[in-house]
Amino acid sequence: MKHQLLVFLFICFSVTVISAQTIIKGSINDGTTDEPIPDVTVSIEGSELVEKTDANGEFIFLLNVPLGEQMLLIEKIGYGTKRYPIIVNEGKTVDIQDMSMEFDNDARDLVIISITENDLNGEDDGATDNISGLLQASRDVFLNAAAFDFSATFFRPRGLDNSDGKVLINGIEMNKLMSGRPQWANWGGLNDVQRNQEFTMGMSANDYTFSDLAGTTNMIMRASKYRKGGRLSYASANRSYEGRVMASYSSGLVNGGWSYTFLGSRRFGNEGYVDGTLYDANSLFLSVEKQLSETHSLNFSAIYAQNRRGRSTSVTEEVYNLRGNEYNPFWGVLNGEQRNSRIRRVNEPIFMLNHFWNISNKTSLNTNASYQLGTTGNTRIDNGGTRLVTFNGQNSYIGGANNPDPTYYQRLPSYFLRDSNPSAFDFEQAFIAQQQFLNDGQLDWNALYSGNANIAAQGGNSIYAIQEDRNDDQDFTVNTIVDSQISNDIKINGNISYRRLKSENFAVLNDLLGGNGFLDVDFFAEETDPNSIDGLLESVAQSDRRNPNRIVKEGERYKYNFDIEASVLNGFAQAQFNYKKIDFYTGVSVSQTSYQRIGLYENGNFPGTRSFGPSEKLQFSNAGFKGGLTYKISGRHLLGLNASYQTKAPTIRNSFSNSRQNNDVVIGLESENIQSLDVSYVFRSPIVKGRLTGYFSEFKDGTDIGFYFTEDLAGQGFNSGDAFVQEITTNIDTRNVGIEFGLEAQVTSTLKLKAIASVGQYVYIDDPDLYLTSDDFDGPLTFGDGKANLKNYHVPGGPERAYQLGFEYRDPDFWNFGLTTNYFSNAYIDVSNLARSANFSTDFDGQEIIAYDASIARQLLKQEKFDDYFLVNVTGGKSWRVKSYFIGFFATINNVLDQAYKTGGFEQSRIAKYTRLEEDQSRAFGPLFGARYFYGNGTTYYLNVYVRF
Amino acid sequence: MKTSKWNLIIMFVVSVISFCGCVQDDDFKVPDTVVADPVIPGTIIDIDAVLGSVNQANIGNNNMDAIITFEATNTYMLGYVISSDEAGNFFEELILQDRPENPTAGINVQIDVSPLFTIYNFGRKIYVKLDGLSAGVSNGVITIGRRDGERIEKISGAKMTEHLIRTPEVASIVPLVVDINDFSNELESLYIQLNNVQFGASEVLGDNPKTFAAEDDDEFDGERLLQNCTEGGSVILSTSTFSDFKGLLLPANQGSIKGVLTRNFFDTFYTMYINSPEDITFDTDERCGCGLESTVGTSNLFIDNFETQTLNTLITGNGWTNYIEAGSTGWEAYTATGTNASLGKSARCSGRFSNGDSNVAWLITPAVDLDTTTNETLRFKTSNSFSDSSTLVVLYSDNWDGTVAGVNLASWKPIVDATIVQDSDFFGDWINSGPISLDCLSGIINVAFKYQGSSDEDFDGTYELDDISIDAQ
Repeated sequence: MKHQLLVFLFICFSVTVISAQTIIKGSINDGTTDEPIPDVTVSIEGSELVEKTDANGEFIFLLNVPLGEQMLLIEKIGYGTKRYPIIVNEGKTVDIQDMSMEFDNDARDLVIISITENDLNGEDDGATDNISGLLQASRDVFLNAAAFDFSATFFRPRGLDNSDGKVLINGIEMNKLMSGRPQWANWGGLNDVQRNQEFTMGMSANDYTFSDLAGTTNMIMRASKYRKGGRLSYASANRSYEGRVMASYSSGLVNGGWSYTFLGSRRFGNEGYVDGTLYDANSLFLSVEKQLSETHSLNFSAIYAQNRRGRSTSVTEEVYNLRGNEYNPFWGVLNGEQRNSRIRRVNEPIFMLNHFWNISNKTSLNTNASYQLGTTGNTRIDNGGTRLVTFNGQNSYIGGANNPDPTYYQRLPSYFLRDSNPSAFDFEQAFIAQQQFLNDGQLDWNALYSGNANIAAQGGNSIYAIQEDRNDDQDFTVNTIVDSQISNDIKINGNISYRRLKSENFAVLNDLLGGNGFLDVDFFAEETDPNSIDGLLESVAQSDRRNPNRIVKEGERYKYNFDIEASVLNGFAQAQFNYKKIDFYTGVSVSQTSYQRIGLYENGNFPGTRSFGPSEKLQFSNAGFKGGLTYKISGRHLLGLNASYQTKAPTIRNSFSNSRQNNDVVIGLESENIQSLDVSYVFRSPIVKGRLTGYFSEFKDGTDIGFYFTEDLAGQGFNSGDAFVQEITTNIDTRNVGIEFGLEAQVTSTLKLKAIASVGQYVYIDDPDLYLTSDDFDGPLTFGDGKANLKNYHVPGGPERAYQLGFEYRDPDFWNFGLTTNYFSNAYIDVSNLARSANFSTDFDGQEIIAYDASIARQLLKQEKFDDYFLVNVTGGKSWRVKSYFIGFFATINNVLDQAYKTGGFEQSRIAKYTRLEEDQSRAFGPLFGARYFYGNGTTYYLNVYVRF
Repeated sequence: MKTSKWNLIIMFVVSVISFCGCVQDDDFKVPDTVVADPVIPGTIIDIDAVLGSVNQANIGNNNMDAIITFEATNTYMLGYVISSDEAGNFFEELILQDRPENPTAGINVQIDVSPLFTIYNFGRKIYVKLDGLSAGVSNGVITIGRRDGERIEKISGAKMTEHLIRTPEVASIVPLVVDINDFSNELESLYIQLNNVQFGASEVLGDNPKTFAAEDDDEFDGERLLQNCTEGGSVILSTSTFSDFKGLLLPANQGSIKGVLTRNFFDTFYTMYINSPEDITFDTDERCGCGLESTVGTSNLFIDNFETQTLNTLITGNGWTNYIEAGSTGWEAYTATGTNASLGKSARCSGRFSNGDSNVAWLITPAVDLDTTTNETLRFKTSNSFSDSSTLVVLYSDNWDGTVAGVNLASWKPIVDATIVQDSDFFGDWINSGPISLDCLSGIINVAFKYQGSSDEDFDGTYELDDISIDAQ
């Protein structure tokens, strides 16, 4: 690809009227190895002309070259930036061969670490999804800071979610169809081979795809694009893993047009900052590329990143106050070892074939095919084991146990002091519970095993078992990308892609915990459940009516089992126009998406085709339009604007309201409508670089599904409103507005000062529709006008305001030091939607609650704003040259002041009712069902030592 | 690449592999869960000893419920677990008895843990460390727990293993076979068995047979009438509405049932809880009794409302046989007004002041010939006052010779479907027996109302009877 848009919002080609051909060309080599460096960004300062080096490290400026004294800027992520003064004469060629760049083994590593770590904890864990994986290192001062210093605190640029951005590898979109999010674990631990990243901000022009609001990252992982050489490194840290070893080697271009790259790495740790979070990850990467001819090249890349981690969770303030931010209730001691009950396993290798064809020196065609298959799994304790008792020809299931979670509300001190006037006995019980929680407070594995053994001795089934929820996917994508410079001023891009997913979703019995078998029925089923067809418990309770009362062994599927088939056909076209004073682009995207669920179990609660066999086939036709321009006041002052409108198909996860049990489709499911606008002012001088952006985006008709247990639902009768529900929220309308500011000053050749700020407001602009479904009551349940009164509440997800002041000192003697102070404020809790519906004010009989007091209600429903906090981070490194080896280290200390802070949290919807919430919130010794929070890490370190050759 | 660099990589890889990057894998061995035989560092006492202490304290407290607390006694109470919360019919309590077979003492232990069956399973021999705990009467039965003012509360979950010490022994518990009419405090919290019982006709016959505890009007517990086919009398089977088998239909036939005998929550009557439906073995297909009749025929065979009787004298005339088998009190006529009013003149029997350890009194109707009529029914009304441990059963015989001397020689069988006033009924109410069918009986029969006192006159109460009518079509 010759013309490559990079990094900045504004890609500008300044136009000089010329008659004879004025050319600037040259080549760039690695200062250590003398090998050519591909993909270096070369720009002429003040002109906004940008080029990239090819595989031979060469670049050329042919068009609109400015005359006179110019400054050539060469930059590449992973290398130190350099500036070369040149003099350009009209009609002459400036040819600077063998400019050198020094490989820079520093913080670049860290970016990917912070992202992948946090992303791994995401998925299925509700609010942990907050980290935006698109915080890539880039040359933009604001994004750079966001990636390095803001990511630890769930900061999301412009309030956007991971699923609002796109991640591509070699031009193939990697966001999952299930969730819309990229699965970072799929390529974790490959840092050395992920240095070639192209990032475009927001909706600005991208050569591969239509882009998305949070930006688009394309990781170029082809053998010919890697710098020749090898690298060995060892990292030690106390955040997520304890150690990482990595070895990689790239051949560069060798005889016969071949090039190859491989990488192997291992990350490990028995626990990270949070207790009991084991880390066990191995990654392998291989890429082989063959230059078939002058114009054709074929690349094969394979990524095998296997990852196993112990998870942690949100806790209430009570638990935090007792045990701090390192506490994790998921683990316990077994046989003298830590065992975490919630293990997340990701193992989804990717294979891709990429063909590059330079049809002419103006036009290229890139055709890719990728196949990804594998498994993600999340374990948990299943405490609903029963045995079948047949009595008088009727079946019943006896057994089951309480939740063994040590933080279960009935085990915490607050539970014993819940009454308004606790007795001495209550205080005694609370004290005993507190001591127990302080001194142990972990999962009691031995009790689980011993319980199972006890029952097994009487011939019973396991009461406790480990269940693993699995997604086994096969994801196939093929696309072809065209890039053509049809004239001096106009470039067009296009992409046609087809993607097909087959996803098997099921639970598997992972461990019987010493028992002999597990009875596959729903312990919570009741013969009185509304969907019972014959009023018999044995019918309702079946996971699969076609295979009733099955005793499951380890490794077998149980509970639920269904396939999802999905396909997406997408077309994208874009034209970019570059003129002297103004550049502009316009792009369009159309797509056709289809989803279908195929039930493999006939669920007892939803007999017949309601759960078994194919669901309705969902079809979505979507389109997007975007356009933008850059107005060049001068080389130093630029104004830019991007605008877009698109509709987006809902994710699979948000399309089926309760896919584990039935074929139901979300009622009123629609594509999301998104419009956005941003306006920027950019200032660039040799010393100071700055950017100020105002942005506005509106999301309409969004959908979200939540799952939880709730009590006392309105209108369900006295003492009969408890249910495990699916909460489906549709027509969610939100608006993100704010400004971003970044300023960087190279005060001296060694000292750089940075200041950035992000101030935004992310709110619901309307009341979405809300309904509940459950196997515990009949039909979709709505409250009052069917709305959740969320208008003007803040959309949760990290601080809305973030500021940074910092400096970097880079000594000519190959050492560096940096310090940043970061300040965060205006982070809000994720409110309970149900508590904002009419359920809140409505009693069991559907009438308004008698004691309802609007002013107290307002107090109860006020959205919690988290406390502001400072985070101070320090970085430093040094390198030495020993013969042809480079040896160095790089270290960071995050949160030097050990600041305690909340990174996120959510209200529990368990008691979403005025009377219950009022009672709970006014308990003298704390609520039983208070909000749950995620707390940030204290002081942590990261140290990386490397050898490069 | 130079060889030295390859060497470097190889060295690195080897050192990495040998370096411990090991992380605990998923394969955990099943831990040793064998229960070791505990060494008890103190005196082992029987449940009986604890019951005795509580009873002593109650007497010393003017027969009011007292609470005793164990402190520095260094005593451990031995017991066998006879309850199981596996099916959810017991919740956060253990019932212990003193031995696996022929038990003599049982006790309830309250503990704030659920489930318990995975730890203290049925038949498990355990020791209860008493120091720090208290005992007293709670909900009608003697209970061990932690004292909270004047109540016995649950032992904290965190203190469970300290106070409830398991042994490896899991005994096979042999239920104590008893008769409903023999229920007494001594049988409380024991694992008992009743033979030849059936559920009441209104529970299991008709269009809407009942479940254990899933009827609309079941709150906390489903209470179902169990009838004794051999001796008469009945008991309530209680089943928690949280139990896993609450939705099962009750069996209509008869047989035996095992379970824990206890008192209901308000301590107003004896009741039984089963551990699981497996405790019910109903293997005799025929029901006893003729069931209930919805209509009453127009032809009266016998009627009496006692209006012709002389007050405060024994019932006589109209074909009645009034026989005092033991003690000094028999069925006599009386009137009363107010809350505990009679129905005009009514009959009553009270052993309360009979000056005897036992009191048994019969009131027998004249003979009724069932061979000449069809659809015969029996109706009567009963009420009681502090009936306590005394019982009233309704019997019939088809071979009584009509003499007082022949009463005990004849064979009497219970009319099991008769609804007789229960301890739990309000003392002022008169309870209709319902039209009880006699249609399945034949020959010439006499119906007897038999008052049976307990062995202690202080626990004998009063039964009142009126409006007896036998009809046919």
